[in-house]
Amino acid sequence: MAGLELLTDQGYRLDGRKATELRKVQARMGVFAQADGSAYLEQGNTKALAVVYGPHEMRGSRSRALHDRAVINCQYSMATFSTAERKRRPHGDRKSTEMSLHLKQTFEAAVMTQLFPRSQIDIYVKILQSDGGNYSVCVNAATLAVIDAGIPMRDYVCACTVGFVDETPLADLCYAEESGGVSSLALALLPRGGQIALVQMDARLHQDHLETLIEAAMTACKGVSKVLDEVVRQHLQEASVLSRE
Amino acid sequence: MRWLSALTDNMSPLRLCVPGEKLCSVEDCSTGTGVYQRHGYIYSSLAGYVLRKNEGEELPVISVVRETEAQLLPDVGAIVTCKVTGINSRFAKVHILYVGSTPLKDRFRGTIRKEDVRESEKDKVDIYKSFRPGDIVLAKVISLGDVQSTYLLTTAENELGVVVAHSEAGAQMIPISWREMQCPQTNAKEFRKVARVQPEYLEA
Repeated sequence: MAGLELLTDQGYRLDGRKATELRKVQARMGVFAQADGSAYLEQGNTKALAVVYGPHEMRGSRSRALHDRAVINCQYSMATFSTAERKRRPHGDRKSTEMSLHLKQTFEAAVMTQLFPRSQIDIYVKILQSDGGNYSVCVNAATLAVIDAGIPMRDYVCACTVGFVDETPLADLCYAEESGGVSSLALALLPRGGQIALVQMDARLHQDHLETLIEAAMTACKGVSKVLDEVVRQHLQEASVLSRE
Repeated sequence: MRWLSALTDNMSPLRLCVPGEKLCSVEDCSTGTGVYQRHGYIYSSLAGYVLRKNEGEELPVISVVRETEAQLLPDVGAIVTCKVTGINSRFAKVHILYVGSTPLKDRFRGTIRKEDVRESEKDKVDIYKSFRPGDIVLAKVISLGDVQSTYLLTTAENELGVVVAHSEAGAQMIPISWREMQCPQTNAKEFRKVARVQPEYLEA
């Protein structure tokens, strides 16, 4: 498309952000009373809803139960109205299955599953509006939902999608940037320890740029973790005020 | 919750903490619930209030508590309250409802085998004369189960067994001995493996 620059000379992106600027994050915990934990998170225009059930007895095949830890069962799905064109197959397609597997791997690294042997924790995430960075928004929403459910975790899990354009890493990509041919990398981080839970990339990137891109992703994740921290503390304050009355 | 405000009267205002927050070093406190230890420091694993309890001689125990009780899983040796859902000649299937006095949000399934119903004369046990579907039973967990089975429970103690049962007429029965209960309406006696529990402690 003519005239659509991903990064202008003055350093502004398509939506007016600077290269390292994140989109506005708004979140709420405890949106559903019937689930053990739930959270709603918006990052720019991408909106995700995460719901957590558990830990409870293994459903379905008991042979999949692990004798020393809990099994984390994730399901990722997109609402049919989440994309520009109505989505024909919201779940069960290959992308959703892959995302679900990534979410499972990410949360197995953070949740202390060895406290709940032979049980199952379900994490369901639904994208209500998709504007880039789907995986990252899912991880952030699911972190809040797991905290809301009271399941012990080592640390927050914060994720961000970064891209590389004109020798500059761009943090928190939106849909237009992702589809505009930017090499994007998604990273999930445990911010306090600086441990990486998952790195995912399926574009082409020169080896020399990898280090810078990962650094930029880690910085962006730490930014997200500060916002999530605020949300959790505020939710705790509100809950304690309500219970005291 | 009243316990929370009662605690704040005795000690300094409770501190909020989030998962991953460093609370103190291993030398200052020992770990309680809701925390974990890593590289010589104690970190929180829940979002809640930090509670430091002094144990006298030993190091104070630090734990993190939430407003709502976390889900409790039945552990080996725990006394559980369950409801009988089905019986056959070899075992009784139950749903575990309470662990100790904490209700479970979700039902766990358990099994009481024929040889675990009572201590004496294990092979002569008749399940139909020990339990019926719908009975509330106090049992102890002996195993978390393996690939094939659910939680294994036992009632082979005097204090374990049926606590609440309804007769065929529908009335709640009164225990008359360790193996019989009587219906107040029809005065019919029915066989159950009765628990020796004072009526004041019944929780169903």
